[in-house]
Amino acid sequence: MMTPSFRDVEQLSASLDGQLSQAEKTRLEARIQLDPTLAAALVDLRQARAILRRTPKRRLPRNFTLTPKMAGIRPPVPRLVPALGWASVVAMLLFVFTLGTNLLGRLSFGAAAPMMAAAPSGMGGGPAATQPPVTDNMQVIPTAETFVMTAPEATPSDETRLVAPAAPPATKATPEPVNIWPYIWLGLAAVLIAAALLIRRASVQAFRRKMGGKHNT
Amino acid sequence: MDEPALIRDAQHGDLDAFNTLVLAYQDIVYNTALRILGDEDLAADASQEAFLSAFRALNSYRGGSFRAWLLRTVTNACYDELRRKQRRPTTPLEPETEDGDEVETPRWLADPNASPEEQLDQAELEHAIQHCLEKLPTDFRTVVVLADIQGLDYTEIAAAVKKPLGTIKSRLARARLRLRECLQSFRELLPAAFRLEEEHGL
Repeated sequence: MMTPSFRDVEQLSASLDGQLSQAEKTRLEARIQLDPTLAAALVDLRQARAILRRTPKRRLPRNFTLTPKMAGIRPPVPRLVPALGWASVVAMLLFVFTLGTNLLGRLSFGAAAPMMAAAPSGMGGGPAATQPPVTDNMQVIPTAETFVMTAPEATPSDETRLVAPAAPPATKATPEPVNIWPYIWLGLAAVLIAAALLIRRASVQAFRRKMGGKHNT
Repeated sequence: MDEPALIRDAQHGDLDAFNTLVLAYQDIVYNTALRILGDEDLAADASQEAFLSAFRALNSYRGGSFRAWLLRTVTNACYDELRRKQRRPTTPLEPETEDGDEVETPRWLADPNASPEEQLDQAELEHAIQHCLEKLPTDFRTVVVLADIQGLDYTEIAAAVKKPLGTIKSRLARARLRLRECLQSFRELLPAAFRLEEEHGL
């Protein structure tokens, strides 16, 4: 008994699925009547198909619906957020600028002070003409009326350890004005950042409520 | 279900509409992936990946059978999983005993609502079918799963696997022949499965 050719098997398989034209079907039926191998092959194919059709369906382990996060859908960004973000950046820059200039001012003041103090003692000029004479063992204790400054670089010897009481009116400490601008800028920046965050949070919550409501139905 | 309207809405980014389609098709998608891959976890991953890919590529859908279009994404996801599976160690479909031996008859696969006898028959049948499916080349397996398990017609299968009708016809015939030969070896195990209803005519 000859086995059917693959072309015949293809025809038989297609016939099971109703994929043959009427003419092809009639021809094939006639051949099957005459050829038992074709009839047997047809039974085999039919059985294989019938078994596959009985394959049990599995229950799903879970739902495969997509969440907004999985789908890459993000909550809409409120229109004000970029503006507030830029405002915060500008405020921070201004704050840093103000703080920087203020700090520089203080540093320059701090650097000038030793120079002022070093001039009378370190430059060889000796005590000023108005200063009282100084002796080796004499010490002057600054009082509230006199402001004594010593040069840090000066290496005091026995003769020069004592510093003259310099009390010119020019060196008298004057209270510095408090620069409040850094605090203003800092506060402004904080307010803007907080506003941006609050708006963002409200927007995200609204989005979640909307999406959650949809998915819970 | 107004499928065209849901697809249109989903194409405009309506996730709710897309999820309605997911609920309608997740059963066929998952079971197709399961028969191609032979592993529950991989099938679940492939199904999820397929739906995600489908949502992202929804604007490329230009009409025709949405089921075929969706099954194309899942077969692609399955091929990706199979390629990954080849690069890493696999775990057997069958559960293992405490000693690490494979359980011969996976009764854990069976439907708990069926009677014990039915459960046994179903489990053995499923085991035999899956075993024989996995012996087929992937392309043949995909075609026979889509045709004989999921019931797609030739045109839908051609759209799903992007092959001409002649190729589908040929692959299906070969796959059925090989499956028949393979299933013969389970004849003793599958008495119920071989008591087929008589199908008359061509």
